[in-house]
Amino acid sequence: MEASREGILMNVNLKVKRFDPSDASKNTWWQEYQIDIHQDSTVLDALIHIREYEDTSLALRCACRASICGSCGMKVNGSAKLVCKTRVIEIAPDSEQIIVEPMGNHPVIKDLVVSLDTFFNQIKRVKPYLQPDHIPQTGEYIASNESMENLLTAMNCIMCGCCVSDCTVLEVDDNFIGPAALAKAWRFVDDPRDSQRIDRLKELNDEDGGFWDCTRCMQCVEVCPKGVAPMERIMELREMALDNGLNNTYGAKHASAVSNHIEHSGRIDEFRLPLESKGIFNIKEIIKLMLPGLRFAFKKRAPSPLHFKNPNQKFVKQLFKKVEK
Amino acid sequence: MYEHDILIIGAGLAGLRAAVEGVRNGLNVAVVSKVHPVRSHSNAAQGGINAPLTDRGDDWEGHAYDTIKGSDFLADQDAVEAMSREAGEAVIELERMGVIFTRGEDGKLGSRRFGGQKVARTFFVGTITGSALLHVLYEQSLKLGLNVYEEWFVTKLILEDGVCRGVVAYDIKNGELHTIKAKAVIMASGGNGRVFEPSTQALICTGDGIALAYKAGVPLMDMEMVQYHPTTLARTGILMSEAARGEGAYLLNSNGERFMEKYAPDYMELASRDVVSRSEQTEIDEGRGIDGNVLLDVRHLGRDYIEKRLGYLQEVASEFLGIDMAEEPVPVRPGMHYIMGGIKTDVNGLTQLPGLYAAGECANVSVHGANRLGANSLLDTVVFGRRAAEHAVDYIKSLGKHSKSENDLKLEQERLQSILDRPKGENIAKVREDMAVGMTKGIGVWRDQKSMEGALENLTTIKNRLLNVSVEDKGKFFNTNLMFALELEFMVDNAEAIIHGALTRKESRGAHFRTDMPDRDDKNWLKHTLVFHDVNHENNVRIETSPVTITKWKPVERVY
Amino acid sequence: MKYAFFPGCVSRGACPELFVSTVEVCSVLGIELDYESMKGASCTGSGILQEKNQKLGDTLNARNFALAEKSGNPLLTICSTCQGVMSQANKRMKENPEYLKEINQSLAEEGLEYSGNSEPKHLLWAIIEDIGIDKLKSLVKHPLKGLKFAPFYGCYIVRPSTALDFSGHPERETSLETIIEAVGAEVTDFTGKNLCCGFPILMINESNSVNMVAKHTDEAKNNGADAMVTPCPLCHLNLDGYQPQASKAAGHTIGLPILHLPQMLGLSLGIDPKTLKLNRHIISSEKILSLLFVRP
Repeated sequence: MEASREGILMNVNLKVKRFDPSDASKNTWWQEYQIDIHQDSTVLDALIHIREYEDTSLALRCACRASICGSCGMKVNGSAKLVCKTRVIEIAPDSEQIIVEPMGNHPVIKDLVVSLDTFFNQIKRVKPYLQPDHIPQTGEYIASNESMENLLTAMNCIMCGCCVSDCTVLEVDDNFIGPAALAKAWRFVDDPRDSQRIDRLKELNDEDGGFWDCTRCMQCVEVCPKGVAPMERIMELREMALDNGLNNTYGAKHASAVSNHIEHSGRIDEFRLPLESKGIFNIKEIIKLMLPGLRFAFKKRAPSPLHFKNPNQKFVKQLFKKVEK
Repeated sequence: MYEHDILIIGAGLAGLRAAVEGVRNGLNVAVVSKVHPVRSHSNAAQGGINAPLTDRGDDWEGHAYDTIKGSDFLADQDAVEAMSREAGEAVIELERMGVIFTRGEDGKLGSRRFGGQKVARTFFVGTITGSALLHVLYEQSLKLGLNVYEEWFVTKLILEDGVCRGVVAYDIKNGELHTIKAKAVIMASGGNGRVFEPSTQALICTGDGIALAYKAGVPLMDMEMVQYHPTTLARTGILMSEAARGEGAYLLNSNGERFMEKYAPDYMELASRDVVSRSEQTEIDEGRGIDGNVLLDVRHLGRDYIEKRLGYLQEVASEFLGIDMAEEPVPVRPGMHYIMGGIKTDVNGLTQLPGLYAAGECANVSVHGANRLGANSLLDTVVFGRRAAEHAVDYIKSLGKHSKSENDLKLEQERLQSILDRPKGENIAKVREDMAVGMTKGIGVWRDQKSMEGALENLTTIKNRLLNVSVEDKGKFFNTNLMFALELEFMVDNAEAIIHGALTRKESRGAHFRTDMPDRDDKNWLKHTLVFHDVNHENNVRIETSPVTITKWKPVERVY
Repeated sequence: MKYAFFPGCVSRGACPELFVSTVEVCSVLGIELDYESMKGASCTGSGILQEKNQKLGDTLNARNFALAEKSGNPLLTICSTCQGVMSQANKRMKENPEYLKEINQSLAEEGLEYSGNSEPKHLLWAIIEDIGIDKLKSLVKHPLKGLKFAPFYGCYIVRPSTALDFSGHPERETSLETIIEAVGAEVTDFTGKNLCCGFPILMINESNSVNMVAKHTDEAKNNGADAMVTPCPLCHLNLDGYQPQASKAAGHTIGLPILHLPQMLGLSLGIDPKTLKLNRHIISSEKILSLLFVRP
C-alpha cells in the first residue's frame, strides 16, 4: 500500500502572501505557485519544495516536520494551522488553490515569518515558571499522578502561536493577554507544587486584559493543533476565581447574575442583567447604560422590569441546589 | 561588539542547562541560537530520561554498567561514572524546576523500562519528555532573565593566540554580522541528522557546531558511530519513541512473528538500538518486511493506556499516516537518529581548544561510545551542560579583558559577500540531497569498505559542487537562502569526518557494523578514532586514535 | 414537520421581533411549532452558567431535551448560542453514559429522563436538512433579487466543529450562504462571517465589544453588503443594538441593517415587513425595503 502511495503525484496550487521588508512601499503581494508533489504531502512539504527548487527567496520557519517544535504556524485558507501536519489531499482534494498567509495578530518580518515577540511577551506576563514556597528535604515534591496528568493538556502547548493568531479579541485589543498565556497560567494555578495560586488568579482576575476579557468565541479551541483548548482553560480559571471569592469584576458579577436569574425564573432577566453586571450602585456605569436602554425602549424592545417565572420553575431551583460540580 | 563571560551556542537542553548554571553563579551569560529556544531539537526526544535513584533501591553502578555495555565498551568509564553518579540529582532538580513527570502510586516519580536496561529507571512525561524538559528550562531562563541572541547564526569561532574568545554571528532577521566576545564558549549546537536522508532529526540539525570546532582544529571523536533508531515512521521518518517498546510493544515481521526472539532472546524488543535496527534490517532484506518496513504493534495495550502513556505517538500515527494505533500496527523502519560521535571533550566538557567547551549531542565525552541507550541523551545534556558551565565558571577567573579586535568580522563579511556574489550555479537543496542520500547508502545500518569508499567518492564530487553552489536571494532580511549555503558547508565537513572515522575503524562495534569485518576486535580497536581538520595532510584530514578509559568494567561479549 | 419549539431567553425579551417572525415564517414553511411543551424549559446557560458549574449547565440542557422527547417532537432552536451550548452539552452526555446516568438521577424527581438520543437543531439547519432547500425555493414569492446579504453565523454555531457534527453534516458550514442564495439574494463574503460579534464581553469590556461590531459591519459594508443576516439574537443585539456605539468608535456612520434569519426568509416568502417587525431594529432597514420596492 505504501509503495503505491509513494508513486502518485498530485498537482498542488498555492497562493502565498509575500512581503519584503526592504521594499520601501511596504506592500504585500500574492504569489502563485504550482507544483507536482506526491499525494501524501503536507502543505509544509509543498512550501519546502518551493523554497528549495522554485523560489529560494520564500521565507518561512520550519524545523521538526513532526508537529512538536511549533515553528510552522501559518494561516491556511484563513485559519491558523501547523502546516507540517496539514495534508494537502485533505484540504484540496481536487487541487483547489490553497491560500497561505502569515499568522494573524503578529507583525510580519518577511513573507510567512512573523515576529513572535507579541506572543512571548504575553507568556512572560504570567510569570511562567514554578514558584514553590519550599524545597523538599530530600528527593522530589510528592504529587499525585492525577494532578500531573491533569497538566498534560497545557504542557502539550508547543508555543506555535496559532491560538494567538486567530484570537478575535486580539484583533481589536492588543492589551489582552491572550489564550496561550492564559493556558500557561492555568498550568501553574493547577500545579499543586506552586504556592502562588491565589496571587496568580487574583492578578489575572484584576488585570486589564486578563481572563475576563476572553469573548468565548472558541477560535483558540478550534485552531490549536495540540488539543490544549485554551478557552476551556480560561473557563476553568474563571471558575476557580469565582470559587475563591474573587467577585469584584464585571465578569464575575455577570456570571453570578446569569446564574441567579436562571435559578430564580429559568430565563435571563435582560432588564436586570446589565445593572447587576455593572453593580447596582455603580452610578457612573448605570448612567452609561441609559442611552442604549432608551434606544431599545423607543423601539419597544426594552425588556420589562416585570420578569415572570417559567412554569415548573421549582424543579429548576431544586437542580441548582442538588447538582454539585 | 558584544561581550560576555560565557557564550553558549545552542539553546536546547544542554545549552539552557549550562546557561542556568552560569547565571546562578552570577556571571554575564548569553546564549546564541539560530532558532527560538523552544524550537530546539531537544523537543523531539520523547521517551524519557534515565536516572538511578538510590531511594528506590537502584544504584548508579547498575546504570553505568548498562550504559557501558550498551556502548559496546567504547564509552570512557570515568565519564559514564560521573554521569551515572550525578543522574539522580539532575532528574530531581528538573522535577523541582517544575517538570510534570509521571508519578507512581506513592506520588513519587514513576518510571518505565527502556532499551538495554532491565531496571525501570526511565523517568518521563507521557511521550513528550524532551519537550516538557525543554519548556521548563526555557521557563527557568525567563525567570533568570537570560540574554538570548535569538535567530542569530554563528559563522565562525574567534581564536586569539590559540584560545577561543568568541564568535562571529549574523542576525538572521536583518543580515547584520556581529562580533560576540566571550571568555568561554560552550558549544551545545546539537546533532547533524541532515547529513543523512532520511533522518528523524529536524531541518535545523546540520552539525554547525561540530563543523565550527572541526575547522578550528578540534578533533572529532568516533564520528562513525551514527545511530539508526529502530522505529521511525514509514515514509515520513518521524520518530516513534522507544517508549512504545518500553510499555510493551511488539515488533512483528510479515509473518506476524516477534522476530527479536531470534536476535535478542533475553531483552527482545528492548535490546540496544543498534541490535534492534540490524535485526529489523535483516528481516527486511531477507524478504520478511512489508514495503521496506516492519510492524510496531501496541494494540494489546488497550486504547486508554495508549492515550495516556503514548499520546503523542497516537497523534503522529493518526495525523501523518491515518493509522489508529489502538486498531492497527504501525509500519516502521530504521532511520538515522543520533550521532554518538562528536567534538572530543574531557569529563568537564572541555575540548582540546582552550576556552571551548562542548556538551550535548555535539559533544563526545564519551558516555555513549558506539551506541547510545535510549533516555541517556536527555541525561547527557543536563549533566554535561551543567558540568561544562561549572568548569567554565572557574576557568574564566584567570582571564583578562576582551581585546578590541574585530578582524574575524571583516573576514567573515568578505567571505559571506563572496558567496552571495557567485553567479547562478548549483542548487543547494539538490547538492545536500545528493550528499545525504550517498551518506545513508555508504554509512548505513550495514557498511563495508566498498560502500564507505563509495561515500567518500561521492563526497569528493559534492565538495567540488559546493564551490559552485549559488544564493539567488540577495536580500538582507531573513535570508535563509544564504544560511542554507553556510549550513551545507558545515554538513560537508561533518560528512567528511564521519566517512574518515568509518574507514579508520577496522572492526564492528556497536552502531558501526561492517559486513566485511563483523567481529569486535578489542585487542586492536578498543580505542577512539579521532579526525582532525589539518591542511598539512592529505585531503586536509589527519587521523589519530586515543585509548578508552577503563575503570571498573572489563569488556565482555555483548549479548542481549 | 412538527418541532418542540425552544425560543431561548432573548427572543422573549429584548428581541421580540425574532419570536414573531419565526412563528410567521414557520407557518408558511409548513413547520408546526409546539411551544406549549417547552414553556417550562430553562435557559441553556449560555456558556456563562457553565463557567460556574458545567455539570449544572449540562443538567439543565438534559432537562430541556427530556421535555422535548416527552412531547414526541425534535427540538428546534432559533439562537446560535443555544444551539452551540446544547450541542456541547449533548456531546458530553453522549460520550459518557455514566455521566448521563448521574444527570438523569437529578431529573428523576420531575419525572423526566433524557435518552441521550436527541439532536437539537437550529432553524437554519432544519430548513436545509429536514424541510429541504427545494421546498423553500418553491415557497419563495418575492425573490430578494439584487440584495446583497453578508452572513454572520455567530461563534456557537460554527465552533467547535467536533461538537456540531460538521463531519456528518458538511453542509452546515455554509448553511447561511445556502439559504441566502435560495431566497434569491447574493452572498457578500467577508472574513468576519465566522468571527465574534463581541456580545459576550459587552458588559465587561464595551470598548472591545463595539470595536468588534465596527470591524465586521464595516468590512461587510465595504465588500458591498446591503444588509447582514444572522441566526443569533445575541449577535443581533450587538450588531444592531450597539451599532451606534460602534459607529462612534469607528469615527463614521456604518448604517448596515442587521436582519434575523426568519426576517430575511419572511421577506422572500412574501410576508409583510410590518409583521416581521423590522421597524423594531435600532438600525433602520428602510434602504433595503425600498430596494425591494416594499413600503415599511
